[in-house]
Amino acid sequence: MVNKFIPKSLQEALLILSQHDCYIMAGGTDLMVMKHRSSGLLPSFDKDIIYIANLQELNFIKDVSGSLTIGATATYSDILKSPIVPQLLKDIIIEIASPSLRNMATLIGNIGNASPAGDSLVGLYLLDAQVELISLRGTRTMPISEFIYGVRRIHREKDELIKSVIIPAHHFTQVKWKKVGSRKAETISKITFAGAYTLEKGIVRDFRLAFGSVSITVVRRPELEAKYIGLSVKQFKDKISDILSDYGQYITPISDQRSTKDYRYKVAMNIARDFISHIG
Amino acid sequence: MKRFFPNSTVKIDNEEKMAGKAIFTDDILCEEALSVSFVRSTISKGKILKIEVPTLPEGYFYVDARDIVKENVVSIIFSDWPVFADKQVNYYGETIGLIIGPSKEVALDLAKKVAITYQEETPVFEMTNSVIHKHFAKGDLAKAKKEADFTYTETFRTGLQEHIYLETQTMLMWLDGDKITVKASMQCPFYVKKAIVRTLGCDPDSVRVIQPAVGGAFGGKEHYPSILAAQLATAIVKVKKPLRFVFDRNDDIAFTTKRHPSETTYTAFVKDNRITGVEASVKLNGGAYIGCSGVVLSRGLIASVDCYTIPNLDVNGNVYLTNIVPTAAFRGFGSPQTIFAFEMFINHVAKALKVDPLKFRLAHLAKKGDITAVNGHFHDEIIMPQLIEKAMQMSDYKRKVKEYDKPNSNRGIGMSWFLHGCGFTGSGESTIINAQVKLVKEEDDTVHLYTSQVDFGQGNRTTLKKIVSDTLKYPENLVFHEAPDTDHTLSTGPTAASRTVIIVGYLCEKAAKHLKEQWVSGKRIEVIEPYVGPSYIRWDEDTMQGDAYPGYAWGVNIVEVSYDPITYQVRVEGIWSTYDVGHAIDERIVAGQSDGGLAQGIGYGMLECMDVKDGRFYQKTISDYAIPTSMDLPFMETALIDNPFAYGASGAKGAGELTFVGVAPAVCLAIEQAIKRKINKIPANPEYIMELVEHGKN
Amino acid sequence: MAKIKFVINHQPVEVDVDPSARLLDVLRNNLHMMGTKEGCGEGSCGACTVLVNGVSYSSCLTPMANVIGKEVLTIDGFNQTKQYRIIADAFSELGASQCGFCTPGMIMSTYALFLSNPRPTEEEVRLALSGNLCRCTGYNAIIKAVLLAAEEGEERGIKW
Repeated sequence: MVNKFIPKSLQEALLILSQHDCYIMAGGTDLMVMKHRSSGLLPSFDKDIIYIANLQELNFIKDVSGSLTIGATATYSDILKSPIVPQLLKDIIIEIASPSLRNMATLIGNIGNASPAGDSLVGLYLLDAQVELISLRGTRTMPISEFIYGVRRIHREKDELIKSVIIPAHHFTQVKWKKVGSRKAETISKITFAGAYTLEKGIVRDFRLAFGSVSITVVRRPELEAKYIGLSVKQFKDKISDILSDYGQYITPISDQRSTKDYRYKVAMNIARDFISHIG
Repeated sequence: MKRFFPNSTVKIDNEEKMAGKAIFTDDILCEEALSVSFVRSTISKGKILKIEVPTLPEGYFYVDARDIVKENVVSIIFSDWPVFADKQVNYYGETIGLIIGPSKEVALDLAKKVAITYQEETPVFEMTNSVIHKHFAKGDLAKAKKEADFTYTETFRTGLQEHIYLETQTMLMWLDGDKITVKASMQCPFYVKKAIVRTLGCDPDSVRVIQPAVGGAFGGKEHYPSILAAQLATAIVKVKKPLRFVFDRNDDIAFTTKRHPSETTYTAFVKDNRITGVEASVKLNGGAYIGCSGVVLSRGLIASVDCYTIPNLDVNGNVYLTNIVPTAAFRGFGSPQTIFAFEMFINHVAKALKVDPLKFRLAHLAKKGDITAVNGHFHDEIIMPQLIEKAMQMSDYKRKVKEYDKPNSNRGIGMSWFLHGCGFTGSGESTIINAQVKLVKEEDDTVHLYTSQVDFGQGNRTTLKKIVSDTLKYPENLVFHEAPDTDHTLSTGPTAASRTVIIVGYLCEKAAKHLKEQWVSGKRIEVIEPYVGPSYIRWDEDTMQGDAYPGYAWGVNIVEVSYDPITYQVRVEGIWSTYDVGHAIDERIVAGQSDGGLAQGIGYGMLECMDVKDGRFYQKTISDYAIPTSMDLPFMETALIDNPFAYGASGAKGAGELTFVGVAPAVCLAIEQAIKRKINKIPANPEYIMELVEHGKN
Repeated sequence: MAKIKFVINHQPVEVDVDPSARLLDVLRNNLHMMGTKEGCGEGSCGACTVLVNGVSYSSCLTPMANVIGKEVLTIDGFNQTKQYRIIADAFSELGASQCGFCTPGMIMSTYALFLSNPRPTEEEVRLALSGNLCRCTGYNAIIKAVLLAAEEGEERGIKW
């Protein structure tokens, strides 16, 4: 018989986590599907659960020293309504799941789930998001690209809770988001793409590409970006094939019930090519 | 409030459905009902060597083939589907036994613990094992072949389709005294009753089947509930307590019947730019058991040249058994497969001949008096030219089809023409079904209509009632049409084959006329109206020759799409349809059938993918198997043109399947124009489009 | 097991259930409110849509722990209101309900939409209902019904 904890405060939650290895459930839109057995039955949990959705202390969307900070229990709907959230994140979120699920699900939940098809992760990687973890021992922060290291694999110690995600401010010239699914709503991505660049007097000063659902984690390669930053717009476009070829080795999709690896690879390249060819 | 359908009747069950008060099977309170869990095969083909049932706690039972009372078979036209797999399993998921008990959780757990030892055999997944073969010919194909100046051959494939009715399979069975009583999500209460009677060998009066609210069916609840009923009936005889189950969605997707995948090859023999002969070969994948596949094949073959008159034909078809879940009824029942194939084919022939497809198809379009594919006649007026003209007008087709032909237009518009034979294929209405409508005027002068037609959304409970009240010229609120109860109604046949309005509706009209003639206020009068087919309809089942259907409904679908060459995705931008359903008893209901058929057809043509991997369906959830959402479809415009049918109530024919059968070719012809490639299979999903665009020929 | 206190259709209630139990099961099996339906059990079909504190939730994925102290509105409670009547009359006029299984969920999602946007565009309606699957209507009549209800609601000065 597993424990089902419903803490009334963040402190209580951390105390529980320091003593029990728990599933952390906020909205429940991932865990309740994963653990569902049959209509009328309780979901089957093989370890303790802690329910944090009602912790108001974690329900924040605020500017902290110029960086956007979103708390663990802020839902997708809350984020869509906030005026300080960058458009890229809103474009991503409005295509996740469905309206009712967006009322329940949280951005932090998407991070904690660390699915290769997690849409918000693509945007968060592009924006250099940091994940803030908290426990009785204190807090620590790390880049999201370090935090997630595999399929549903995150560097969360058992006594830790993801408190917030911190997104530094950016002022890109252009940002693009593209989600390719089987239909226009309620779809798990076949491929996702986020791209951004900054132009200053015809020179590309910042350039980022991130791909989702094409590998075990989001593909973003800052070292490749660095190779091409500083080029002029014309030089950039001349080098499209090189750029795509560089990224191509990291785009390693699989074939599954939703799509084929050939389709995913080709479309990822098509979207990237289209994005780069429109720079300027 | 603005009126959209001023002549339409409010549906009988409309208010309760909207308010959440309609009682579906799982809404029925029955605390004493025991939970039923299914023990299923985990291999695709093999012999069952041993079944080891764990020790069952008090109050739990195991039921399987050894508990069969009389016959271990369910009649689904052809009787080869066993109630429980006995010594042989033929598909992954085939039901071997049931675990029954008070706790669903415990029953599920016990079902998993039933240990089956198999001797595995090599399953067959390709269409190699033909079990039904049909053939017919018209005219002299050899002559047409000899005289042809151009020949063209092509093959088309269609995939599996899953019904995804919103309410999954569910059944509640209990004993009322000694009477087995059933409420289930089903299309045919008398099929369910028959299945129980056959397996138990019991007196038909000891079985009663009552229809509750049913949440969608589309053919998926035409046959499958009979299997479930036979299984539960076997159990209830042993257990003697109420039983119930509700399929979880993933089980419904994994283990219930699907649409027959097909492969159709046509060869056209052309002389002077007219198709003088067609050779057609149709292959259907029947899954593990034949069931109704023979009739699906018949309908598909009869529709093999769609709404066109081709003077010389040689048509053959085969049903193949494979080791997957048996395929069975699904809206269209064989004709969507061949109508897709032939509509695409005739357009491709025109392109190959470098002639205008519209003119080419018009030249072959069937007319009144023409001989059908099976040497019958189109007895009635065919108004296809008017339907075509109207649809083209509504959609601005002529301008668009020219404009979108330009290179890189990334847009396309496609038009399909189609027919649907209404009523049971062949002589079934007279030889098998023998519908009998019962109409009773009680002493209080209320009128009660009794049919076995199930309303699972199509509104037929209301339509049939309306026919009666219109014919009697009697207030609608004094005419009652209850949901079928086999204790109170005679069988008017299954709710399938677009037969409800054309056959049963016609009987309702006749019954009402007879009642009117005998009307005496204050006296109870009962009219039984049996089916008598139009005398000119003659059909030979063995040779497949004659009039296959009493009447045909006709239609035109036009679909416009936009195409994204970066992602190979297609977006449906517009859908326009015109139909000849004889006469719409209720326009709002017919509009609803049109809308739903179009949506399901778009799914069939371009969205819904179901693959088989290792004998199991690869797509396992309602997210994996993508049906259209509200964001995947535009508004649909539908227009009807009256063409009253002499043997239809107020001239009405059928609409339920007509609105589905032509959509896939319409959307695929549009996609072809947008991508400038030929499409040979559905679903025409982005992955397939990518293959065509990157590797295919123009 | 825990004593979960919440408000259901404007009535305060306390149920003794496991906090991990699905709200959908508690509504149907404990409270015997059968209007909310189960179509998939994984939050993808919308048949189980209810309102929680005025926004739509999929009750098949909502654990009872997340309902503590909240106001839940289901079709069983909503169907007594004049707001429901306007939506239902529009649905009737367009024939937006065929088999009826998706309808309670559609109506609840419609009401949730009107609470934040009483005069939506066609696109906004499609987005708001994008989590409610229907296999019978192709959404055609439903979208038109929602637009008609919005128009009618404004004409009558209804406060959603």
